[in-house]
Amino acid sequence: MGDIIEMNGIVKIFPPNLVALDDVSVTFREGEIHAIVGENGAGKTTLMKILYGMQPADSGEIILRGEKVKFSDPGEAIASGIGMVHQEILLIPEYSVWENVVLGNEPVKFLDHLDSKKAREQVKAKIKEFHFNLDPDTKVADISVAARQKVEILKLLFRNVSVLIMDEPTSVLTPQEIPQLFSELKRLRDNGHTIMFISHHLDEVLDLSDRITVLRKGKKIGTIEAREATKTGLAQMMVGRKVIFESIRKAQKPGDILFEISNLNYTDADKKPRLQNIHLQVRAGEIVGIAGVEGNGQLELVNVIMGLIEPQSGTISAMGQDVIPQSILEKRKKIAFVSQDRGNMSACLPARITENVIMTHHRLNPRFTSLGGKVLNFKQANQFTLEVQEIFDVQMTSGETLFRSLSGGNQQKVILGRELLLDAPFILLDQPTRGLDVGSIEYVHKQITTMRSKQRGILLISADLEELFRLTDRLIVMHRGRIVADLVTDKTNITEVGYLMLEGMTYEA
Amino acid sequence: MKRKILINLVGILLAFILGALVMAIQGKDPIEAYYRLFEYSLGTPNKIAYTLNKSVPLVLTGLSATVAFASGPVNLGQPGQLLMGALFATVGGLYINLPPGLLIPLLLILSMLGGALWSGVAALLKHLFNMNEFITTLMLNMIADYLTLWAISYPFFEKNANHPQTPLINQNGWMPEWGSFSSNVIVMLLAFGIIWFIVNRTTSGYEWRISGQNSLFSRLGGVNVKKNYLAVMLLTGALAGLAGGLIIMAGPHRFIKDIGANYAWDGVMIAMVANTGVILTLVFGLFFAILQTGALGMELQVQVPRELIKVLQAVIVLIVVAGRGYFESLFALLEARRKMRGRTS
Repeated sequence: MGDIIEMNGIVKIFPPNLVALDDVSVTFREGEIHAIVGENGAGKTTLMKILYGMQPADSGEIILRGEKVKFSDPGEAIASGIGMVHQEILLIPEYSVWENVVLGNEPVKFLDHLDSKKAREQVKAKIKEFHFNLDPDTKVADISVAARQKVEILKLLFRNVSVLIMDEPTSVLTPQEIPQLFSELKRLRDNGHTIMFISHHLDEVLDLSDRITVLRKGKKIGTIEAREATKTGLAQMMVGRKVIFESIRKAQKPGDILFEISNLNYTDADKKPRLQNIHLQVRAGEIVGIAGVEGNGQLELVNVIMGLIEPQSGTISAMGQDVIPQSILEKRKKIAFVSQDRGNMSACLPARITENVIMTHHRLNPRFTSLGGKVLNFKQANQFTLEVQEIFDVQMTSGETLFRSLSGGNQQKVILGRELLLDAPFILLDQPTRGLDVGSIEYVHKQITTMRSKQRGILLISADLEELFRLTDRLIVMHRGRIVADLVTDKTNITEVGYLMLEGMTYEA
Repeated sequence: MKRKILINLVGILLAFILGALVMAIQGKDPIEAYYRLFEYSLGTPNKIAYTLNKSVPLVLTGLSATVAFASGPVNLGQPGQLLMGALFATVGGLYINLPPGLLIPLLLILSMLGGALWSGVAALLKHLFNMNEFITTLMLNMIADYLTLWAISYPFFEKNANHPQTPLINQNGWMPEWGSFSSNVIVMLLAFGIIWFIVNRTTSGYEWRISGQNSLFSRLGGVNVKKNYLAVMLLTGALAGLAGGLIIMAGPHRFIKDIGANYAWDGVMIAMVANTGVILTLVFGLFFAILQTGALGMELQVQVPRELIKVLQAVIVLIVVAGRGYFESLFALLEARRKMRGRTS
C-alpha cells in the first residue's frame, strides 16, 4: 500500500482569534480506513474540508499521488477522485434514488436530453457492484436516513471517486444501522477505496479503522495503528491527560424538597405533545440528572421552567410557590439558570463583561442601584466583576472588554459566577459543559458539587452520560417527552441508562 | 474606541476625496469648493449660530433613531412623529395664552406628547396585533403627512393665505433669540444630556441596550421586555416630536406645508452612521448640519450644485457603515495572525 494523499503543514485561522489547524501534517495510504478523531472543535472537519476544497488553507500543501494539488471547490476535488459525505444529508426528497445519484452528472442523448433509461441502468449497476441493497426507483423522501446516506455515498461512487471522506456518518444513524454501514465501508476499502472517517466515538473508531490520527485543539497529536490502540490510550491522546470516569460526590443526606414538577404537559403549536405527564422532585443538597438523547423534551422542559413557553397543564413549584404564573424576574429569585446556548440565552456577546455579570443582579440586589433602583451604580458593578473574576478564576483583562473576547471556558465561568452568586436555592443547569475543554469541564463540575454541599437543589440536564454518572445522586431518563425512569445513580449503570435513552424501556420490558 | 474614531474619519475622508474627484471632472476647483463649504457654515460666529440652529432637528431625530435602534425597536416613524409634534405645538400656540416662561415649556411638552402619541399608536398595534413597528411606523408617516396637511388646510388654515399654512402662534411661545443664536440649541443640548444619562447610567437604559443586542438573554435575566419596548417607543417618539415643535417655535412660528422637509430621514441616516452611539449621533448631527449649511455657500461661490452635498452625505454613510464590517474583520484577522505567530515562535 503506497501513500495516496499527503497533507503537509496545514494552517487554518478563523478570525478573530481561532486557530483551527496549527501546522497539521497527515499522510493517507491507498486502500485504508483512516479515522480522524478528536473532541468537538479539534479541527477534524476543517482539515477534511480543506482537503475537499471547501475551505482554503492559510498555508500548507496537499500532495495527491505525488503531485501537488490545490482544489478551489469541491467539484475539482471530485474530478480528482476525492468525495465527501457531510453530516447533514443533502438530497432532493421528491426525486427518486437514481435521479438523485445522476443529478449533475447525467448521461445524455441527442441534444442534451436526459437518457433516463441509461442513467437508471448505470445506477442499478453501481448498486449491484457495491451490494448496496437500494431500490433505484424509490423516492428519497420515502427511505430511511441510513439509506439516504447510502445514496450520498453512491452519488460519489457514481463519479468514480476513489477517496471517500465521511464526516461523523454514525451521528445520524440508530445503533442498529451502524454495523451495516461499517460492513459496507469495509467492502469499499477491500475494493481499493481509501476512506477517511471523522468521529469522536472511540469504540466505532477501533472497530472500523486501520489507522487513527488524533487531533487536539488544532494540533496533530499522532497517527497510530488501530490494532495497537486502546480506548483509554486514545482518550488520553484526545484530551491530553488521564480521564477520570468515577464519581466525585461525597455521601450526603438530601434535605427538603426545593423544587417540584407535577403532572406537567406541553403540546407545541403543531399539536405535537412534547412533554407528557412530567413528575419530578429536587431536594436540597441533591443533584438530579436528566439523561436523554437530545430532542426528547429537555429543551421544552427548560423553557417551561424558565417561563419562555406556557404548559397546557401541571404545576411547577419552587420553595413551595407555584412559579408558572410568576414573571421571569420573580422566578429568578428562586431559580439560577445556566443554559446550553451561551451566546443566545446566557450572555450578551457584544456587550461588556461587566454588563453581562450584573444581569438579574441589577434588579434583585439593591447594592447595584441607587435612587430606588433607577440609576445603576457602576462602582459596585465593577467591584462585582472583580469578585466574580477572583472567586471563579476567570482569565480576563478588564470588565470593560467585550464578553465575546473571552474564551469559551472563561465565558462559562463568568456565567456560572453570575448565576451561582444569585444565591438562589434551586439551580437549573442545561448542558453546562457543552463545548468546553477538559480543564474547564472539571472546574464546572467542582463548582456544581460545591453548590451541592451548600444544600442547593440542582437539576442537571446533560447529553453526556459520563458527566451525569460523575455528578448526580439520582438520574431521570427522558424519552419522547416522557420520564421513563427515575433511578438512583449508584444503583444503575451506563449500559442500562443508555438503553433507556434509546429505547425508552429496560431490557426486560 | 480609537478604532471607531479612525473608521469614521477614514469614511469622511474617502467621501471628500470622491466628492473632489466629481468636482474636478466637472472642471471645478475642489479645494476652493470645500473652503467655501466650511467658510459659509463656520466662518463667523453668526454663521456658526445658524449652523447650530440647523442642527437641532437633525440631532433630535438622530437621537430618536439611535435610541430606538440601540434598544431593539425599529422605529422609522421619525418623519411622522416630527410632524405630529409640530402640529401639537402649533395648535397649543394658537389657542393658549400664557407668559413665555410657562407657554414655552408647555408647547415643548405638547410637541413631545404629539410625537409620543404617534409612536404609541405603533406600539399599541404591536401589543394588540403583533404588527411589526418597522412597517407600522412607516405607514403612520404617510398618515401623519396627510393628516397635518388636512389640519393646516382646513381647521387651522390661515384665512386668505394662498398656501396651506396656519396663522402665527402666540408670540409668547417663540423660542427666544439672541442675535442669530436661537435658544432651541439649548433645548437640544439639554435633551442630548438627558438621553446620554438615560442610556448610559440608568437601569432602564442598561436594560434597553442589552435587550437591543440580545432580547432573549435579557428576558431570561428578568427584564420586562414588553414594558421597555413601550418606554423606548414613547421616548423616541417624544424626541422626534420635540424636533417638530422646535422647528415651529424657533423657525417660521407657524405650520407651513412641507415644514418637516427631510430632517427626519437625515436623522435616521445619522443614527445609522453613528451606529447606536449617543455621542457620535451628536457629532454627526453637527457635521451634517455644517455640510447642509455650507452647501449653499459652495453653490453661490463656486457654482457647485448644492445636491453634491447630498451625494457626499450618502457616500459617507455608505463608506462608514460598509467599512465598519470590513475594518472589523480586517482587525480581527490581523489579531489572529499576530496570536498565531506568537504561538509558533
